[in-house]
Amino acid sequence: MNRAVCLVLALAPAQAQIYDVVIKNGHVIDPANGRNGPMDVAISAHKIAKVAPGIPARNARTVVEAGGYYVTPGLIDIHVHYDSYGASLNINPDHNSLRFGVTTAVDAGSSGADNFEKFRREVIGPSRTRVLAWLNIVAAGMYGSKVEDDPAQMDAAKATAMVNKHKDVIVGIKTAHYQPADWTAVDNAVKAASATGTVCMVDFHPKPGRGYPDLILKHMRPGDIHTHFYGRLTPQLDDAGKIQPYMLEARKRGVLFDVGHGAGSFWFRIAAPAIQQGFLPDTISTDLHKSSVMLPNATMINVMSKLLNLGMSIEQIVERSTVNPAKAIRRPALGTLREGADADIAVIQLERGQFAFLDSGHGRLTADKRLRCALTMRDGRIVWDEDGLSTGDWQHTGPYSNFK
Amino acid sequence: MPPRSLPNWILFAALSTASAQQYDILIKGGRVIDPANQIDGVRDVAIQGTTIARVAPDIPATQARKVINASGRLVTPGLIDLHFHAYGYSGAIFPDDTALPTGTTTVVDAGGAGFRTYTDFKKTIINTAQTRVLVLLNIAGQGMIGSASEDNVEDMRPAETAAVIRANRDAIVGIKVAHFGKPGWDALKRAVEAGRLADVPVMVDDKIFTNSGRTSREKLLDVMRPGDMHTHMYNDRQVEIVSRFNGKVHEYARQARVRGVLFDLGHGGGSFLWPVAAAAARDGFFPDTISTDLHQSSIMMQQADMPNCMSKMMVLGMSLEEAVRRSTMIPAKVIKRLPEIGTLGEGKVADIAVLAMREGVFALKDSWGKKQLASKKLENVLTIRAGNLVWDAEGRGFPEWTTAGKYEVIP
Repeated sequence: MNRAVCLVLALAPAQAQIYDVVIKNGHVIDPANGRNGPMDVAISAHKIAKVAPGIPARNARTVVEAGGYYVTPGLIDIHVHYDSYGASLNINPDHNSLRFGVTTAVDAGSSGADNFEKFRREVIGPSRTRVLAWLNIVAAGMYGSKVEDDPAQMDAAKATAMVNKHKDVIVGIKTAHYQPADWTAVDNAVKAASATGTVCMVDFHPKPGRGYPDLILKHMRPGDIHTHFYGRLTPQLDDAGKIQPYMLEARKRGVLFDVGHGAGSFWFRIAAPAIQQGFLPDTISTDLHKSSVMLPNATMINVMSKLLNLGMSIEQIVERSTVNPAKAIRRPALGTLREGADADIAVIQLERGQFAFLDSGHGRLTADKRLRCALTMRDGRIVWDEDGLSTGDWQHTGPYSNFK
Repeated sequence: MPPRSLPNWILFAALSTASAQQYDILIKGGRVIDPANQIDGVRDVAIQGTTIARVAPDIPATQARKVINASGRLVTPGLIDLHFHAYGYSGAIFPDDTALPTGTTTVVDAGGAGFRTYTDFKKTIINTAQTRVLVLLNIAGQGMIGSASEDNVEDMRPAETAAVIRANRDAIVGIKVAHFGKPGWDALKRAVEAGRLADVPVMVDDKIFTNSGRTSREKLLDVMRPGDMHTHMYNDRQVEIVSRFNGKVHEYARQARVRGVLFDLGHGGGSFLWPVAAAAARDGFFPDTISTDLHQSSIMMQQADMPNCMSKMMVLGMSLEEAVRRSTMIPAKVIKRLPEIGTLGEGKVADIAVLAMREGVFALKDSWGKKQLASKKLENVLTIRAGNLVWDAEGRGFPEWTTAGKYEVIP
């Protein structure tokens, strides 16, 4: 062999970048970067390396054949309850997130200043899912009305100190379930959020003299999030089913509206007319816990499916499950397939057939479409692959190490 | 019309209204597969309170408060997963959100707790779960918390273990020995001794490695008793069932089966390999009981839930009826709980799965992530646990929202 040929052979591998994974022939929806069309996605060293049409499959160690699937940034669910070892309604993070395309999940106040560090150690640490947290303004966390209704638990300075200590994983302050007819919980939560430059997520139970319009027009700041906004607790529609003017005004102010489906907060009779009038969620989330994961089946991909069947488009839904929640929690590095970003990806199929979904009251929506997460990549690693898109047939993939 | 007939009609209407309250739930028109009662055919299943009231053809829909149309679906006893991890083990998962959606109404925790930790297991998981959680108590006193416990022969105490079992027969059904990383038979023999003292079976997951001084033949033929269960049968580290030299099932494995030693699937993250399973299936060597070894890892890439494991057995040649039998009646029998569970017998607790047989192209993956394509796959669509409808993926038990009025939470 002559020397020139040898040189070319030696150089060739160096010239063609070898990727860890190439996801081929999918339809990329990446609203953060304005992408919506057939494209390949290459992953290298845990990062998105390239998004473009026609990346050669031979440049990949693993090829995911994604023809017929949507490829989106890993979904971001900003309202879950994943305190596995603590609050009673909580569930394990990984299989409840990653199987449904969620690569970032934000625990919504299961823990407060008194027990957040335990939560971080026991839940955030061991999870493969990126688990972030809203710190409960209640120092004891979400442990029932005895602490959640106690104003003495709501020390903004204490919460502020804890947020400042853990800013890498705490995205803001949560207030929830507060029953006394005063503003202590909301105002202290907003105060702690302001002091830390973070966002406040509010679960609100209106009382006489403590009304919903005042919450979203006066007490919450632009960027703060009202969760459960398709729920029955707050008056978002008038008697004729029309969106209340204060909803529009609050949205104009910059208050955000989050789904937070849960076991009590998503009703077709509220969501359907609101969506019909164009009042869509800013962010889609599940409020997933022991109860909502059962009959309402409020996993992220299912909540997205419900909204799809109520008239939202796939593009609108992906936007509100990726880039929008990333912006809302001020983590713009997430929810995007920007080159260089962490390789968190969902591969989703839009199935047509006969399906049904239940709302929080167990009313049924007969449906002709469903979204299903076929594959999830978290930090460059394929962690869920229901359709075997990344793997070979056992009879054609070489000898097994221990067995001939 | 003669005026006298009117009161008769009123009386009849009043009676039929009364009888409408007779059943709480009626599952109509499904193909019932109930091996314990030798039923395989279209039947209706009526539930009253927490128990099965009647299984018969054509029970009138008017007799039930809630009617579930199950035509085109399979109706089976709630599945029993003989090998599950709900406690102790670092990969343990909550049973309710993982078992119930898959039609599994009973899970048997395989050695998470030992005699020292059982009380905590009972308090934190068994008593709070909606799923029925039964227990194989680890022979290691501290349970499945790593080699400090599982290699500690000193703390494997047959008398103490048997005492805890005798005091908790409501939940504890046997003994588990697992992950023993030292040479010799100490762990397994102590487990068997505890099993003898408490008169319960032992489930064995025992590493065979070069310096262990243990062989598959001795384990199956000399140490394990009839009724004891070897789990992880289709891997190649716990025991060798299929010869790695000629791909045939070993004679000692057949002899063990004749002796009454039981073979359990125990899929898990590392214990289901297509080449082993396919070779065993070619020789007709199938599991007595189908189980998952479900934990945080095996629930992901392997999707080792019960319907998935049943689908894998079916692609290997097991019939649907056998797959149901080995996921309901047989596991109930080996833990001595038949006919209390694993049956649709009248008067028994109403634990029921409604399954769909999907058709298409499906990828079934083994513990090394390699796939076998299949044209059929079982999927659980509805679960009833002790008479409660807890899972309904097809909305079969509830009214359409547009016609249901301003409903509260519909039970």
